[in-house]
Amino acid sequence: MKKVVIYALSTCPWCMKAKKYFREHDVPFEATDYDKADEATQQAIKADCKKHGEEMSFPFVIIDDNAVVGYAPEKYARLLKL
Amino acid sequence: MQEDSWVFAIDVDDMVDGQMKPISLDGQKIVLIRLEDEFYSISNKCPHMGCPLSKGTLKNDVIKCPCHDWQFNIKTGQFIAAKEITVTKYSTKVSDNKVFVNLEGGN
Amino acid sequence: MDPEVRKEQLKEMFLPLVDSLGYKLSPDSEIVDFLFEQEVQIEKEKGSPFCPCQGLSGEREHDMKLVCPCIPFHREHYDAMKRCWCGLYVHKDVEDPDLLPQISLKEFKMSKK
Ligand code: SF4
Ligand code: FES
Repeated sequence: MKKVVIYALSTCPWCMKAKKYFREHDVPFEATDYDKADEATQQAIKADCKKHGEEMSFPFVIIDDNAVVGYAPEKYARLLKL
Repeated sequence: MQEDSWVFAIDVDDMVDGQMKPISLDGQKIVLIRLEDEFYSISNKCPHMGCPLSKGTLKNDVIKCPCHDWQFNIKTGQFIAAKEITVTKYSTKVSDNKVFVNLEGGN
Repeated sequence: MDPEVRKEQLKEMFLPLVDSLGYKLSPDSEIVDFLFEQEVQIEKEKGSPFCPCQGLSGEREHDMKLVCPCIPFHREHYDAMKRCWCGLYVHKDVEDPDLLPQISLKEFKMSKK
């Protein structure tokens, strides 16, 4: 099973769609809302986005170690080999 | 251009180089700016969300809005990041040591 | 202030700006409504209608470029997508916003090379 991490904002509609996608495909994921997270978690998310060479644009989906920034079902499917 | 659309704004000696001053002329809120011996006037209302530009900062010919830092060229009125967006600009003239603003010339 | 009233005010302020940049409101009125609602809420909490879909870093220079409409500061990137990151605004010729994918800044920069 691939590890899926989703960074999101509580205010972002595409983040909700992304989560829905993984739910509907029965892929477990770990999601954190950046805007609701504590300071330390925010710093960690910031660093992780940077590590992937990306801006903090949400949804920020990491499948194993591949980042997909934005709501992109085809890219999710490709990485999940669905 | 009609002679009477020029409105007296301020005496030249009442402003120093690099100064900005909010004034109300015929009910219009304007910022007057003096750069060396030239005077410029633009609307005091930021095109973004209407904050008073006179409360911002001036660096050379660029004024920065205090609210979200949008920057405008005071000579052209153009927004630095996208010149399609402009703050209303008025023409000014100096005569007899007095500064006049043309309110008709807004744009 | 009544959030519904503020929503309309933000819309009224922002529409002429995005119009002059070649954008219009997305035809997806549900998304539009939702996003303005978020902006009103964000403005209440943080003082400015920051982007509902991009993260604030706490550094003023970075964050002020994420106040709606942030198109002027991300013009090339958004023009390439024909939409802003959130999809609140789209290019004027766009009829079906669902056909416009989000492309990350990194992808966009790579595609330019
Ligand atoms: S991405 Fe769109 S909705 Fe978000 S701040 Fe920019 S213009 Fe506004
Ligand atoms: S109101 Fe001037 S930058 Fe936002």
